[in-house]
Amino acid sequence: MEGETQQPSAPIQENSSDGPRQISSDRVNRVKKLLFRRMLVGIKDGRFFLGGFYCMDKQGNIILQDAVEYRSTRRSSPSPMEQRCLGLILIPSSCRISCHVDCSVEEQLSLLSLNEK
Amino acid sequence: MAHKPTDEEAFGVAVPGRTSIPSGDNSVWADVSPLLHGACQDLQEGELIHGDNFNLFAAMSALEIMDPKMDSGIVCRYYSLEEAIENGAAPVPVSVDKTTDIRCIIDIMDHLLACEATWHKGHSLAQTVYSCLYLLQPDRTSSHALLHSYCRVTRATCKAVLSVVSDARTHEEEDLFTMAYGLPLSVDGDEKCLSMLNAVEETISRQLRACKSSSKRRVLEAIEPLQSDPDQEGYCKALLCRLRFRKHLYHLLMSIRRPQGRGLELARKHIASCISEFDCILKSSEFLRASAQGMCEQNIEDTTASGCQAIGFDASLNCRSSAPTPPRSIKILSWKKAVQYFVKLLQDLDIICAYSLDPSLEAALNFVIKFQKSQPDLVARSHLQLLLVQDGKLYGRIPMFALITRAAGLPEVTKDHDIQKNEFMVQLEQLVMNLLKILCTNVAWQRRKLGKMLQDWRVIHVQLELAFKKEFGEASKPSYDELCFKIFQQILMWVEEQTYWIAHRFLILGFELELYSVHDYCMVYWYIYTVLIKLAEKTHLRIVMNTGTAKKKGKKKKDSFKDAGRDYQMPGAVLFLQSQIYLAEGLCMMFSALKNEHVIAAPQSPFNTEHEIFIQQFELLRKACLPDNISYRSFKESTMHANFSNLVMCDYFKEAQKIAKDAKSCFANDPDKMSELRRVEQVAEHNSVALNLICRIGAIDRSLKVSFEFSHHPVFATAIVKRS
Repeated sequence: MEGETQQPSAPIQENSSDGPRQISSDRVNRVKKLLFRRMLVGIKDGRFFLGGFYCMDKQGNIILQDAVEYRSTRRSSPSPMEQRCLGLILIPSSCRISCHVDCSVEEQLSLLSLNEK
Repeated sequence: MAHKPTDEEAFGVAVPGRTSIPSGDNSVWADVSPLLHGACQDLQEGELIHGDNFNLFAAMSALEIMDPKMDSGIVCRYYSLEEAIENGAAPVPVSVDKTTDIRCIIDIMDHLLACEATWHKGHSLAQTVYSCLYLLQPDRTSSHALLHSYCRVTRATCKAVLSVVSDARTHEEEDLFTMAYGLPLSVDGDEKCLSMLNAVEETISRQLRACKSSSKRRVLEAIEPLQSDPDQEGYCKALLCRLRFRKHLYHLLMSIRRPQGRGLELARKHIASCISEFDCILKSSEFLRASAQGMCEQNIEDTTASGCQAIGFDASLNCRSSAPTPPRSIKILSWKKAVQYFVKLLQDLDIICAYSLDPSLEAALNFVIKFQKSQPDLVARSHLQLLLVQDGKLYGRIPMFALITRAAGLPEVTKDHDIQKNEFMVQLEQLVMNLLKILCTNVAWQRRKLGKMLQDWRVIHVQLELAFKKEFGEASKPSYDELCFKIFQQILMWVEEQTYWIAHRFLILGFELELYSVHDYCMVYWYIYTVLIKLAEKTHLRIVMNTGTAKKKGKKKKDSFKDAGRDYQMPGAVLFLQSQIYLAEGLCMMFSALKNEHVIAAPQSPFNTEHEIFIQQFELLRKACLPDNISYRSFKESTMHANFSNLVMCDYFKEAQKIAKDAKSCFANDPDKMSELRRVEQVAEHNSVALNLICRIGAIDRSLKVSFEFSHHPVFATAIVKRS
C-alpha cells in the first residue's frame, strides 16, 4: 500500500520495528497473559459464567473452560444464587455485557493503566 | 495518565450479586472489557487468542450460550420454580370461586392426561407430566383434597408405568421415556392415593346428589352451601368420571402386574370400567366447552375438553435439572389425540388380558406376532413382555426347558430330565427367553435384533451337536440312555427349525419396514423361498418324528420334497408353508423373467451392483450360514434363464393356489390361519392371471407396464398389468 513504510506481506511480529504495530501486539499480548485465568462473564439475561479463559476471536466471542453458571432465583436482587457446571462454553460477544478477571490488586492497577491508554 | 482507581471504578459497572461470586483470596475482579475490545481491534481476521494446547476441533464442541438448542438455562418467564410459584403461576386453590376452581381443575386434569399420553408416545417426563407445577412441589396441594389426591394418583400411575417399561428393559429406542432424575416421582403417601381419591369421590357424589335434589327443591343435607348454579351438576359429573377413570386405570395397572397372570380377569373388568368412564368424559366435553365460552384464555393447542388453557403448567422451569442439554421442543398431544391414545392403549391391554395363557411356545409366539399387527405402543408391549417372561418362566409358571421339550414334540416325562443342566441347554433356554422378549419390541429394533440372534442360534446348534456326538459318539457305551438320545436328537432338530423361523421373520419384516426397493424383490423372494424350504423340511421332520413314522427320516432334497406322494397326507403345517414356498418361487421367477425380458429395467446405480446389494441385504443370514451353500451365484443361476416362454412358471402360482386350498381343510378351527391361506390364494390367483397375460402378450407388446402392490398380502406382492 502507498505511503506506508511496513513490508507488504509481513505478519504481525512481536519485535516489529513499527510503532503502532508494537502497541497493538501489546494489547493482544496482555490478553494472552489472561489465558486460563478465572474470568467472570455477565450476559444480557442476568446470568454469570465463571470459567478459565480459553479462547477469544476478533469478534469478541469468548470460550471458557470448566465453566459454572450462576443465576439468581428471583428477578429482584438480593436473592440466593443457583449454580451448575457446564464445561466448555462459548459466549457470543452479542450477549456479553460485562467481563472481569480474577487478579491481585497490583495487577489490577497495571491492567487499568493499560485500559486508559 | 493513570490515577489510583476508586473501588467503584475498579469494579466498573455494578455487578449485581458480585458479592455472591467471590474472587480468590487477596484478589479482586478487574474489568477487562476495554482491554478485550482493544485487543479485538488489533487482531487479524480469523486470528484467535488461545493457549498452546488449544484444539480447534474440541473448541467446536463448546455449548453456545443463548442458543436455545444448546443452552438449557436461558431465562424465560421465571428465574426459578420458586419465583413462578411466588408469582401465582400455580395457585392453590386455583380460584376462590368454587365453580371456577372446579372448572380449572378439570382443565388441569385434561391437560395432564394429554401430557401423560405425550410421555407414553416417547417423550421425557420432565417436559410432559412434570411440566405441571403442582406435581413439582407435592406438598403445596395438601390443603386442597381434590387436587392433592388427583396429583397423587397421577404420580402413582406414572410410577407404575415407568417401572413396567424399565423392567422390560427393551425400550432403548424410546429411551427418553425413563428419564426421571430430579423429579419427584415417589412421594411418601402416594400408595394411599386410592383411599384419598375414594374420599374425594364420595364428597363429590354427595354434591351431585345435592345438586339434583336441590333442583327438585328438597331439603339439602348439611354440607357446604352450593350456589344454585345449574352448571354445578355438569361440573360434578365431569369431575366424577375423570376421578373414576383414574381410579380404574390405577387398579388396572396393579392387577395386570400380578404375578403369573393371576390378575388378568380383574384387569379386564377395570379396562371395561375405564372405557365406560371415557364415554362419560367425552360426553362432558360439550357441556364444558359451552360453559367455558368467553371465560378463559383460548387453548391454542387444544389440550383440554373445554378448550381453555390449563393453569399451572410450564415446561421450561425444570428443564435445567432434567437433562444436560435442552430437550428438543415437543408438542403436547391435543385432547382428542390423547383420548384416542388411551382408548387404543386400553384396547391393546384388553387383548393381552384376554389371552388364554396357552402353555405352548408356538402359541405364545403366534400370539405375540398377531398382537404386533395392531401396532401397539411401548406401554402395551412392555406389559405383554412382562406377562410372557417372568422369573425365567413362561407366564412365571412354565419352565423354559419344559416349553422346549414340548415344542420339540417330546413326551411329557422328558421335561424333568437331567439333561437340562447341560450348559448348552441352559444357554438355549436363555435364547428362547430373549426371542420372546425381542418379539415384543418395536418392529425396527426387533428386526435388527432378530438378525443378530441368528448367529447365536446357529452356534448353540453346533455346540449341542458336539455335545450330542460326544455323549453318544462311542458305539458301545455301558449306560446308553435312550431317552437322553431322543431328547438331544429332537431338540437339535427343533433348534434348526426355530432358527429358520427366525430367519423367515427377519426377511418378511423387511417388507413391513419398507426396507426393500422393487428391484430387490427378486432376490428377497428367492431368499424367502430357500429359507421356507428348509423351514418346511424341519417342520415336517419334527411332525413325522412325533407321529413315529420312521419311513421319512433323513434329509430331503427339495425336488423329492415337492413331489411327495399324494397318498401320504401332508401335515397341515407343512402344507401351509408349501403354499408360501410356491408363491415365493413364483414371484421370484416372475421378477426374473420381467428383468431378463427387459420389461422391468434393472437399476443403473453408480453405487452398488446387484451382487453388493445381495451381500448387504442378507449379510446377517449369510454370517449364520442360513442356509448353507447359498450365494449370489446360486441366486443368479436359478434366475437367469427365466423368460416368458418357460410356461412352467405359471404352475408355481397355480400350485400355490391348490395347496392353499388343501391346507384350508386342516385349519377349519383356526381363523387366523384360514385368513392367511385365503390371502395367499388371492395373491396366487391374481398373479397367475397377470403372468398369463404377460407371457402371452409381453414378448410382442412392449407397451406393457407391470407394477406391484401389496393389496392382498403384506409380504407377497400382486402384479398389475397395464398398457401404458
